[in-house]
Amino acid sequence: MTRGVPCGFPCAVPCAVLIALCTLAVATRTAAQVIDSAPTHPAVVRSIALDARLATDFGLRLGDTVRVSAAPGDTGAEPVVVSALLARRADPSEIARSEYRARVHLDQLQRLIGYGDRVDRFAIRTAGDSARGTLLDAVNTAAFGFRAWPSAEIAVRTSRTFQVVRRFHRAIGVITIVASAAFLLCILLLKIDERRRDVAALRMMGISAGTIVRSVVLEAGIIALLGSLAGVVFGVVVARIVNWHFQGVHRTTLAFTLVTPETIAFACVLSVVLGVVAGWLAARRLVGVPALTLLGR
Amino acid sequence: MTPLVQVRDLARDYSMGRGAVHALRGVSFDVEQGEWVAIVGPSGCGKSTLLNLLGAVDTPAAGSLTIAGERIDQLSDGAATAFRLRRIGFVFQRFYLMPALSAAENVELPMAEARLPRDARQSRVQELLGYVGLAERAGHRPSQLSGGEQQRVAIARALANRPALLLADEPTGELDAATGLEMIDLFRRLNRDGTTIIVVTHDAQMAAAAGRRIQMRDGAIVHGASA
Amino acid sequence: MPFRLAFLALLRHPARTMLALLGIAVSAALLLDMVMLASGMRENFQGFLLIRGYQLRVAPKGTLPFDSEATMDSATMLIRNILRIPGVSAVSPVLGAQSQTRVRDSTVTAFTLGIDPAVQGDYELLRGQDITDSASLVVNDSWLALTQYRIGDSVSLAVGYDPQLRTVLGQRTVVVRGAARFFYTGASQPTVAILLPVLQGMGGSARRDRVSLLMVKAAPGADAEVVRSRIQQVSARVSAISLEGATAQVEQRLAYFRQLALVLGSISLAVGVLLVTTLITIGVNERAGEIAVLRAIGVAKRSIVWQVVTEGLVLSGLGALSGLAIGLVTAQWLERILADFPGMPATFRFFVFQPRDAGIALGMLAAAGVLAGIYPSWRAASLPIAGTLRREAVA
Repeated sequence: MTRGVPCGFPCAVPCAVLIALCTLAVATRTAAQVIDSAPTHPAVVRSIALDARLATDFGLRLGDTVRVSAAPGDTGAEPVVVSALLARRADPSEIARSEYRARVHLDQLQRLIGYGDRVDRFAIRTAGDSARGTLLDAVNTAAFGFRAWPSAEIAVRTSRTFQVVRRFHRAIGVITIVASAAFLLCILLLKIDERRRDVAALRMMGISAGTIVRSVVLEAGIIALLGSLAGVVFGVVVARIVNWHFQGVHRTTLAFTLVTPETIAFACVLSVVLGVVAGWLAARRLVGVPALTLLGR
Repeated sequence: MTPLVQVRDLARDYSMGRGAVHALRGVSFDVEQGEWVAIVGPSGCGKSTLLNLLGAVDTPAAGSLTIAGERIDQLSDGAATAFRLRRIGFVFQRFYLMPALSAAENVELPMAEARLPRDARQSRVQELLGYVGLAERAGHRPSQLSGGEQQRVAIARALANRPALLLADEPTGELDAATGLEMIDLFRRLNRDGTTIIVVTHDAQMAAAAGRRIQMRDGAIVHGASA
Repeated sequence: MPFRLAFLALLRHPARTMLALLGIAVSAALLLDMVMLASGMRENFQGFLLIRGYQLRVAPKGTLPFDSEATMDSATMLIRNILRIPGVSAVSPVLGAQSQTRVRDSTVTAFTLGIDPAVQGDYELLRGQDITDSASLVVNDSWLALTQYRIGDSVSLAVGYDPQLRTVLGQRTVVVRGAARFFYTGASQPTVAILLPVLQGMGGSARRDRVSLLMVKAAPGADAEVVRSRIQQVSARVSAISLEGATAQVEQRLAYFRQLALVLGSISLAVGVLLVTTLITIGVNERAGEIAVLRAIGVAKRSIVWQVVTEGLVLSGLGALSGLAIGLVTAQWLERILADFPGMPATFRFFVFQPRDAGIALGMLAAAGVLAGIYPSWRAASLPIAGTLRREAVA
């Protein structure tokens, strides 16, 4: 059953951001209350896998016994032994959530929360693609109130949040590139304009316009390449700082920013192209002016 | 009557590489109100250096310089600037008009700096451009004027704040012969109308038109120091 | 005259000036957008919560409203106890569930709200009538589009399914009375509203006298925080959340956007400042000869500095104004991208224009333009006049 979209609240927004997870989150409806860490009821004690952050924050260790109940202060709390610690996945949709996660045995959770013989979802492994297709059709036409999806489609649907973030970042990138391109063109124009007298002298000596344009373009390309390499180094350093900061804040191993070979190649190529184009435009402008005019006569 | 300009043992040195160049070596002379003095001499004799000192755009290494009763060599930078604005008119060989401004606006520039009221500025601009024969070219930019016309505008600009002294550095240096003659006529008219002029020139005709010549060589006056 | 000289100096190199203006404008636009993102979210979020004036929310203990499927029991008594608290003027109960409507051979699932129309704070009626009886249904346009029903049609609504018996549960025939804009759900999310007791009844014993959320309105003049703490004392099984508390929670979860806004905003400002500074510095250096001439004819240093500062101010000022226009357009573009977040409430805005914040941001850029001109112009105006003239003559 698809979890409903929240309304009325603050959670509307974070859930909007993290909605993908709603359908994948482990149903965590119990509030784990730590009463003691002494083992009790050896015959009936089940095990629990606790969020590692919860264990760290409350000083719990493997082997400790805690009590779980459906609601705070419930008398029906059951003892469970911490048998595993869960490391939070490096999943962007999870890291912003501060609540702890735990895993208990299905039948125990059903009993604790009075859920009866119900689940929120289940996964099915089928024997091959054709069987999958047949099963999907059968479930979706016969059932009322829930749907079946292939896991791949779940991945697509739940990645919609990240696709939105990706588009957002791309849009910011486009705006930044436009500003940078204007900046680069302007600076190169300025620098080349500064050498108008040199260019005039070269023209008067007989150096062709083509030679001058080529040398300016080469210079602009080299400057752009060196600048982009410096930018790559800067970007790598900043990426490391960003990852270090956010990994510490969110207690995760998720890499928040990645500088990949493709990113580097794109940045360098774009910079060089912009630089070459800017240099060519500026040089063409300058060689198009008569030498004497460049000298101010 | 006290001379307008009194120069006593003026000296100026420039350090160039290993040694110092003595551009001026103890120059002394006076210029009376209403005189037209031409300073002549070979290239590098210190003519332009002397003119720059007279115009308070440079500071002497030694000596004293008094113009209209003020010790120019002792002025602060700000005071020298103010002095140039109100008491000196400068005409350059290369005109040095503001290329983005029209002829009228170039002439108006020193008056705007002197905070003259707008009406007063505009009427003075018309008067000056009429005086130099460019009333109908007031709205033209320097790039739209000939060399001679640009120099006339530069002269009008130099006269904007009714200076006590007009200094000109090779005013005909960039002009052809015919235009140069026109410029000499203009200078003659200015002097006749009471303007004290000191001009540095290589132009023999300009030098001949002046009332007095000061000959310089190797940073010193060799002839004409006294009137 | 200084303004005219500054303006003309900029016009002397139109290509250069236009490019610089473009660069500054885009930087200013990005700066504005980031300011709107950083400051607007908080303001918008609080406004978003206060659409109907309910300052407090009450949810099951330890959860945020609709963060889970948990509900609060004994809702009637809880509401009565809360209404008794001094300073409380209204309580709006809400129960959330999924409902299914069979449409030909498919099913449309809708988020369903059980509400009290007298005090509801979840929607604004656009067309038709509000809920008046137990057979009334108010829907949003997305539901109408998916189901192809119209106002006045009777529909069969169900809230559950027994897979063993293969029968629907809680089925009821209702009439679509009106169409509404639901504040807290996405525009594309099919949403319907029905009387609270009806939805509770349709859910059987599992939902009897249960609610997902209570929205509480404090009386005029009452301290919302005081009311919140009193509500908290009424029941230990609920969490009372104030506007500030909610905002803090959301800010924590959306901290990424604020930090991104801060970083990008800083970079934009730096780029804009750098561009203006570079342009002015190079422009001044180019005009060293002109500046020397101005000094020679008696123009004071401060006048020259003022002229160059004016150039910087004109450049950055025009750039900032252009950036304002561009920024408002790009904000709309970015808003449309972010609105695609699954389930994003239709009324929520990431980018909110606040004149004060925009003024500060763009003012910083303009001020930078002013400062950019001071040092290079002072330096150029301080060069030896004679030497500079000679150098320019030789050059």
